[in-house]
Amino acid sequence: MRVLVVEDEHRLAENIVAALREVGLAVDHAADGEAGSYLAEQGMYDAIVLDLMLPGKSGQRILRDLRRTKHHTPVLILTAQEGKESVVELLNAGADDYLSKPFDLGELLARVKALIRRAKGVSTSVLKVSDVELNTVQQTVHRRSQPIDLSPTEYRILEYLIHRPRAIVSKQELLEHLYDFDWEHHSNVIEAHISNLRRKLNIPETEPLIETLRHRGYRLREESLAR
Amino acid sequence: MSRTISITRRLIVTVLVLELLSAVTLIGAIVVNERHTQLHAFDATLEGTAESIMGAVQEADDEGDNVLLDLRGVRLGRDPIFRVEEDNGHLLGSKGDAPRLEGSLSTVFQNAEISGRRYRFVVLHGIRIIDPGEKGGGVRHNITIVYGSPMGHVWHEVLEAVRFFTIATALLLGLTAIIMAWLVRKGLAPLHELAFEAGRITSSAWHFNAPTRAKETVELQPLATALEAALGRLQRSFEQQRRFTNDAAHELKTDVAIVKSSLQLLSMRRRTVEEYSHGLALSLEDFTRLETTVQSMLTLARLEQSTQDFSGEAARPYCSLLDVMEDAVELGTPLAELKAVGVRLDGSANARVPIDRRDALLLCSNILINAVQHSPQGAMVRMELTMHGHKAELRVTDEGEGIAEEDKPHVFEAFYRGDPSRSRKSGGTGLGLSICKAICVRADGSIEIANLPNGGAIVTVRLPALPIESEGALSSSLKA
Repeated sequence: MRVLVVEDEHRLAENIVAALREVGLAVDHAADGEAGSYLAEQGMYDAIVLDLMLPGKSGQRILRDLRRTKHHTPVLILTAQEGKESVVELLNAGADDYLSKPFDLGELLARVKALIRRAKGVSTSVLKVSDVELNTVQQTVHRRSQPIDLSPTEYRILEYLIHRPRAIVSKQELLEHLYDFDWEHHSNVIEAHISNLRRKLNIPETEPLIETLRHRGYRLREESLAR
Repeated sequence: MSRTISITRRLIVTVLVLELLSAVTLIGAIVVNERHTQLHAFDATLEGTAESIMGAVQEADDEGDNVLLDLRGVRLGRDPIFRVEEDNGHLLGSKGDAPRLEGSLSTVFQNAEISGRRYRFVVLHGIRIIDPGEKGGGVRHNITIVYGSPMGHVWHEVLEAVRFFTIATALLLGLTAIIMAWLVRKGLAPLHELAFEAGRITSSAWHFNAPTRAKETVELQPLATALEAALGRLQRSFEQQRRFTNDAAHELKTDVAIVKSSLQLLSMRRRTVEEYSHGLALSLEDFTRLETTVQSMLTLARLEQSTQDFSGEAARPYCSLLDVMEDAVELGTPLAELKAVGVRLDGSANARVPIDRRDALLLCSNILINAVQHSPQGAMVRMELTMHGHKAELRVTDEGEGIAEEDKPHVFEAFYRGDPSRSRKSGGTGLGLSICKAICVRADGSIEIANLPNGGAIVTVRLPALPIESEGALSSSLKA
């Protein structure tokens, strides 16, 4: 999952970005309104953390423009302003959640993850497909109650695929949603991770959980979803 | 609860009292006049009747030399009392008990009380000549007539007149009260409108426009204008306060959020000693900035407090401005070196200024650091002090980008930032120039900022000052 943080206060942004990365999210950072607005409208983010008071273009305007251009990425607002009115205005303008400064970093992470889950139509933090169980809070994966040790990237790929159960997910989409701009990547890095993931999840005499559609991408096997 | 006073009631009562006084005076005058007129008419009637009786005496038949009185054909008044007699005491006729009144040759009127009733009498003298054609001119009879009539009628007429005027006055007073109440209420309507408009002002809605009618009323115009002006000033000051509180809250919350998130990030999982050490160093930096913000806000609050503690000139602390400028340069040198900016101090003049030494240092170093921060690499910041009579002028010039026109009116406002992100990154709290202004205002001085024609900005501080002739003079005065 990839998150955009739009926050001009350099030290605060640094902390938020580091914390989001610690929980396995890819994060991009914009330090002003213009850059934030531009990145948000690219549509590759699963959630946006948006500060209100920004140089260049305010958080309110970014939010309004985003909703006007039919982007539905969940937005969590950070505000240091008092007064309920602005909160009501923000929620009406299309914000999905808000946090007042100074906030709890743990709460921020939980809210961002909940926003992403809700946007994908999932309400619990434990995701199940076939006999695989993925706990998004503890970031653990079990198959037939046996723990499976995945690398952070492998975990993120599996989580992303489970969030898009019937869709064909292209390599490009995986790259866009799992890596931030700072990441030096090659397209075959995804293939390597998928191969490792398949191997770790594999149980003899069963069909692999993830199927490959040539030149198109990856998809969770239909039979596994039917159960 | 204090008693309230109604202007309407006062006005009406005043007018009614005045009207009543006039009416009472008028009725008094009417009584006097009416009495006089009625009495005059009454006397004329008395005299007329008496003359009719005299005529009857003169026209009467006579028996020999005697005179007979025949009153048939004479119209007498109501309840008359009269006596007709000759001067030899011969009574020709009478009715009732007419008093003996002193008479002279002319007609006399006199009042008398007869069996409890007030009468007015007329005494008339006349002559009846019998056989005037005879030798010797006939016989002359001197006749005296005393004729009276009760005066009750006169008083009745006077009282009638008074009653009429009293009723008329009462009606007039009532009518006046009603018309006055209506007129005064109508006249005071602009005042009510003004009060209503003023009553709509709340701490969140300061908008006040005096109603047009209030502005067009001569008596209310000064009040309306004064209200508008006072509310305008209050609104500006209130807005400024509100903005300051909001901005201060924003700054503090952001600083606290940074400190809190730094520590929470560090405790998210077990880390290496190096990571902890790095994290703590960063947290300490974050905390230092929070401390600076709080410190600056407290300084500003202290400076903006009322100057009551300056009880007199003697209590004012003075300091040598040039010494303070030297200290400020020393303090600013590390930052200037870091930014590769030169600082030059022109110390040809000196002055004693009425500022506490620490505040003076805060003033000079804030201006200097501001100039260094806005200077490009390799630029020069100049500080110079000149004297103009009893005024010290401190000028600090830089070679930076200058101030945008739209920022000029706001640069001395607390937390004002032309570019919100840049100032925070450069470590400023947004309070430096506000603190400078507060220090200058407190010392009865001024501070202004302007752009130089060939780029850069100039800050000019003017302070009331006493010149110090030379270093020797200063040190000797200190020794003394």
